[in-house]
Amino acid sequence: MAKTYKKPEMIGQQVGWCPGCGHGIIQRLIAECCEELGMAEKTIQVVDIACAYWSIDTLNCDGIAGPHGRCAAVATGIKNVYPDSNVYVHAGDGCSYVIGLAETCYAAQRNVPITMIVVNNGVFGMTGGQMCAATTLVGDKTVSSKAGRDADVAGEPFDMLNVIKSYNIAYAARGALYDPKHIDAVKRMLKKGFENQRDKKGFSIIEILSPCPTNWKLSPVDAMKKIKEENEKVFPLKVYVDNGGEING
Amino acid sequence: MDKKFKLMKGNEAIAEAALRAGCRFYAGYPITPQSEILEYMSANMSQRGGVFIQGESEIASMSMLWGAAACGERVMTSSSGPGYDLKQEGISYLSSYNLPAVIIDVMRYGVGDGEITEGQDSYWLATRGGGHGDSRQIVLTPASVQECADLTYLAFDLAEKYRTVVILLSDGGISQLIEKATMPEAKEHDRSKFDWAIKGSKKAEETKVKVTNLDRSMDYDEYDQMMRDKFVSMHENEQRWENFMTGDAELILVAYGISSRICKSAVRRAREEGIRLGLIRPISAWPFPEKGFQNLPEGLKGLVTVEMSLTSQLGLDIRMATKFQTPLYGYLTTKYVPTTQGIVDYCKNVLAGNCKELEVY
Repeated sequence: MAKTYKKPEMIGQQVGWCPGCGHGIIQRLIAECCEELGMAEKTIQVVDIACAYWSIDTLNCDGIAGPHGRCAAVATGIKNVYPDSNVYVHAGDGCSYVIGLAETCYAAQRNVPITMIVVNNGVFGMTGGQMCAATTLVGDKTVSSKAGRDADVAGEPFDMLNVIKSYNIAYAARGALYDPKHIDAVKRMLKKGFENQRDKKGFSIIEILSPCPTNWKLSPVDAMKKIKEENEKVFPLKVYVDNGGEING
Repeated sequence: MDKKFKLMKGNEAIAEAALRAGCRFYAGYPITPQSEILEYMSANMSQRGGVFIQGESEIASMSMLWGAAACGERVMTSSSGPGYDLKQEGISYLSSYNLPAVIIDVMRYGVGDGEITEGQDSYWLATRGGGHGDSRQIVLTPASVQECADLTYLAFDLAEKYRTVVILLSDGGISQLIEKATMPEAKEHDRSKFDWAIKGSKKAEETKVKVTNLDRSMDYDEYDQMMRDKFVSMHENEQRWENFMTGDAELILVAYGISSRICKSAVRRAREEGIRLGLIRPISAWPFPEKGFQNLPEGLKGLVTVEMSLTSQLGLDIRMATKFQTPLYGYLTTKYVPTTQGIVDYCKNVLAGNCKELEVY
């Protein structure tokens, strides 16, 4: 008999993400994980003032949107006041790895037991698709690198998980959304991140390669294909750190 | 004499009074001359059941504060000079959602790196800053170690009463001063009493709070009106100042913080020589105590602002409070603490007609 999928109860209303965007998949996975782990009532979301911001009204939990780039610091403040709550960050690569790199690294350095979800879509989505210094591939065309990213001028993209894994943290992993198998893998990573928080294991970071068809100027299908054929080569899908024990469920 | 007093530094009095007011979250970054506040919090916060974090920057510290304040906790940070510049982002965000927070600015002199010693030239940033957008924050100016304690304690109550940021505008002189002070009574804060705050756990059917760039429980126009009403109310009700021998004065000094202490000596010395000086000491810098300038004595020949600044910053507020009608002179001592005799001599020159009025711009 076919399995029936239901919308998670936590998702209360429609969102405004563009067609083919990966953020919506990630939000659904977050909601499913929180519900399946029985953690929905303890969940507090921290979203960045960028594309992740759409989530603040959609998810039925207390939420906060702070200054751009400061999500990890905001979450640090909340988690210290409510150590038993489930505090997660949903932010982009610009927030987490560019303007807010210090905040991200120092949440890892303090091993703050939060779950940080970084959406790597290679552009500044909300502001119109500018180059992201941390993640835009060399040669990729954006509105601020119209001839394609030039490594001599803008440097090369960088795998930040190679840095963050060096801190004493619970978990660091990268997944991608380009097919159901990989979406399932991302869900397991997210679940691990929330379980680590529940079990007070420490800082967990899950980076997700996610499509931005609007700013990449590709169809949703071609955008998924680009992740698989190009982005994954620079940003490998793997678990970098796992000090949290067995994946449960 | 009250035997409960202690000999304390201004910075220590600020930190201890904050803890006694129920402050249970502090995040900050070291900078002279305010680092004793951070150090005191690092040594004492955990014993009171609170959280101390030495942040990776002033900006990150402010964001941690934003998170903790949104949970209804009593929160504080402190900085000085270039570090205080970096607080502006956070002040704007805290103000946008009406989150209570106390921010200490221990002024040091100069632009850029400037000096690490006392100054009073960050008055405009404290009273007119607050980051982007149109918002107001209450600004209190202590002039003694006792006031460091009392105004910090008051700051937390005002912050909650109006759901606003309150800035304690100290200076290197007052904060490094050691004198006796009596600490206020310790009290506990209940963070669960606010319906606007994030809670640690909520049932699915409970209303959730969304802490963001404006209070989403109302529409935009309603929000604007609420903010405007709040600023009007703070401006009307929170003006604080001290009159010192102003009743018969022929010349009134205007000064706050470290300068106001010297001004009191100058008033006394001048009166010994038969010169009737007085002092109006603003205790709130925003709202500026305009009411203190409404009934100036008959026969007053003018006002003299005494400030450690290059161009007068207080002067513009005095001009506005007196509707540009009362002659105003400026004794501006830049990075040097004014001297009693220097003030008295300047006032003699004013009375002799040897000084030009202060230009404000």
